[in-house]
Amino acid sequence: MKTNRNYKFAIICMVFGWFSMGAFAQDTPKLADDEIASVAVTANQIDIDYAKVAVKRSKNKEVIDFANTMTTDHTAIIDQAVKLVTKLGVTPKDNAVSQSLMKQAKETLNTLNSVDKKDFDKTYINNEVAYHQAVIDAVNNILIPQAKNQELKDLLVAVVPALETHLEHAKMAQSKILK
Amino acid sequence: MKSFKFLTGKYFLKVAGLLFVLALFSSFIKMKTEDKNLEPTTHIVTIFRMKFNPENLQVKKGDTVIWINKDFVPHDVTEETSNKWTSKPLNQGDKWQKVIQKDVQYYCSLHKVMKGTITIVD
Repeated sequence: MKTNRNYKFAIICMVFGWFSMGAFAQDTPKLADDEIASVAVTANQIDIDYAKVAVKRSKNKEVIDFANTMTTDHTAIIDQAVKLVTKLGVTPKDNAVSQSLMKQAKETLNTLNSVDKKDFDKTYINNEVAYHQAVIDAVNNILIPQAKNQELKDLLVAVVPALETHLEHAKMAQSKILK
Repeated sequence: MKSFKFLTGKYFLKVAGLLFVLALFSSFIKMKTEDKNLEPTTHIVTIFRMKFNPENLQVKKGDTVIWINKDFVPHDVTEETSNKWTSKPLNQGDKWQKVIQKDVQYYCSLHKVMKGTITIVD
């Protein structure tokens, strides 16, 4: 239980650490459009990577269905982002935020791959709830306000309802798994 | 007097004939209107920004509902109480239709929090 709490805290810290420190202006990352594109693609790819582990390790239909939807939807979002940057002639630029996301994702993937099988479902779904909440906050409070290109801004706005639906879906699965 | 009676009779016949034609015409119009009200109609439900729009739809028995996915993520339309029927996944721009014979509660089985209803009204 303590491990789960610590794990959840770590997840929240890792994403909020970068994204949710808006109250401290000096800590809010300043991102150009090419960097925002990189963060958006990275954040979506990370959730696809988590889903792949879930499909491999879980036996719970609720979890597997959710994970499959995450793979399909986040792949569709990446496709939209790639179409847009191709149209705009922008190359997503690696930056401190996307690097930090990748580093933390590596740690989370290690946890998901090594956690005891009986704890996998709740570890995965708790992470999905925390991750989606953090990403929604980041998109709304950092990426959308900082995006300069209107089409990039519009795409980020269009993605939020999908992320919010994923969050509600994850919470619904979580309430069944934690029963 | 005879001529007056003849004229009166002729005038009466003309008026009666006119009234008869008017009555026929009006019942024909009424019949057409009623027919139109009974004809099945088609309703559109768009799927956009992760919502069915309208979420709650009223139709007449036998009407057709067409769902159109305008999102860039796939959705489906699935009967909610026991998954009696499903559209299978609809990609962006895909349409799927169903004739509605009774009240329906449905959802997207890919995003289980997305729900809609169809209610039959007289």
